Amino acid sequence: MTGRWLRWAGLSVVALTVVFAVVLASRFGSDPALVDSPLIGKPAPAFDLATLDGVSSISLAELEGKTVVVNFFASWCLECRAEHDALVATSQAFAGKDVQFVQIAYQESPDDSLQYLSGAGISEFTFYLADPGSRTAISYGVFGIPETFFIDAEGKVVGKTIGETDALTLGATLDAIERGERPGQAVTGNTQQAPER
Amino acid sequence: MALIVLITSDPPEIDRVEQLGAKIKCPVCQGESILDSPAQMAQDMMDVVEERVATGVSDEVIIDELLSSYSGALLLDPPAQGSTLFLWLAPLVALGAGVGVILFWRRHPAGEPSTEDSGVSTINRRVVGSLILGLAFIGIVVTAVVLIRDDRGPREGVANIDEQDLSQVSNETLEAVIAANLDNAQINGMRLALAERYYEAGDYRSAFPHYLAVAEAPNSSGDEAVAALVRLGFMAWTGNGEVDAALGLLDEALAIDGSSPGALFLKGEVLWCGLEDFDGAALVFGQLLNVPDLEDDSRRTVESSLTSVTNGENCT
Repeated sequence: MTGRWLRWAGLSVVALTVVFAVVLASRFGSDPALVDSPLIGKPAPAFDLATLDGVSSISLAELEGKTVVVNFFASWCLECRAEHDALVATSQAFAGKDVQFVQIAYQESPDDSLQYLSGAGISEFTFYLADPGSRTAISYGVFGIPETFFIDAEGKVVGKTIGETDALTLGATLDAIERGERPGQAVTGNTQQAPER
Repeated sequence: MALIVLITSDPPEIDRVEQLGAKIKCPVCQGESILDSPAQMAQDMMDVVEERVATGVSDEVIIDELLSSYSGALLLDPPAQGSTLFLWLAPLVALGAGVGVILFWRRHPAGEPSTEDSGVSTINRRVVGSLILGLAFIGIVVTAVVLIRDDRGPREGVANIDEQDLSQVSNETLEAVIAANLDNAQINGMRLALAERYYEAGDYRSAFPHYLAVAEAPNSSGDEAVAALVRLGFMAWTGNGEVDAALGLLDEALAIDGSSPGALFLKGEVLWCGLEDFDGAALVFGQLLNVPDLEDDSRRTVESSLTSVTNGENCT
């Protein structure tokens, strides 16, 4: 009788261990970018970056009091190209409000970014900045691009979208921030890594 | 010998940089450290680590700084705390359970007569077996739940388009969506809705370009085009006093839908009140009364207007 109980116990442990292994195995290849950003609810990391044309520089500190949308992009990123029109349109639509769009080039030269933007079109209400050494991308915990951070007027990160976004998501997130809500984080599309060098 | 070691060994700072780099996972790679990965991001992060080490900051501070941006997912060996604590303890628990089973089995091999009372012994063995089984089951289930929950990630964010309540969406957002989707035929409905918001707020200047775009869009539906043309006609008449322009727009609407109640009623009003064309207005109001699905309230209003026009009364 005892032997039967122990055999059942042993078999059950083996079966459950298989379940455990399957669960573990299912995590291989899962996207590490999907972890919650620890920046949500925290003060946004400061930056002071040169514009892509090198003519001037913009710091987060000087945008205090505005809602700031920080988007990381690159010309080699297909998802970034897909969302570009939405970013331009939203920055223009919200130009009359205290909203400032900032797009930071990720792992490419300012010349390459400028060449891309000259064809894709720019918004006169957006700052396009360079990030040498990915310092700002690292301070914002960027895994892949596009990633877009929403910073409220008090300088706190209140939202983040991962992947290609669109005008409705951008605008609705800004609407929510204006209502005093904290939109949080959402996966809106795929992200892309820098091509192999 | 000591001199040779001193000359060939790396400076302590380089050792620290490499040790730290080996602990930190490359965020754009699969399971590689920033020390081993050739990715640009990994090298940029190594540069950050090197800079911080050079400033004399402790390893803990450097790691904390990176974790403040990336969370514990950045460590190759996650810390033994929070949801990862169970992962660290699970192998020890499993090992202890296994050792317990083996020891118990060796002391009480199956079929061996017990010196104890056989009934009590069997109950004890059942209890122990059940405990082992129960603990293993609970452990595996908890681990699976923790892993599945972590794996789900932040997909339940607020900014989900499908869950957006459009009544909560601002005019600026609708403007942005429209501007970013000019080639999309579906956008005419949203454009018309935005124009209605402006119209109802009395902001004709903002409403006008949207009504005009819907009226002129080749992919607008008939209903959308008629609705836009009627509003444009109304604004032309009441906003600018342009009677002829208003009638032209209303005729365009009626060319699309000859029984449009909105277009017919407004045309009758413009003829009556704008041109004092009583016969023309009576004709149009009569056409409108022949529209079969005219609502009762509207029908009573039109009948009243027709009576006034027929009696030659001036528009009030």
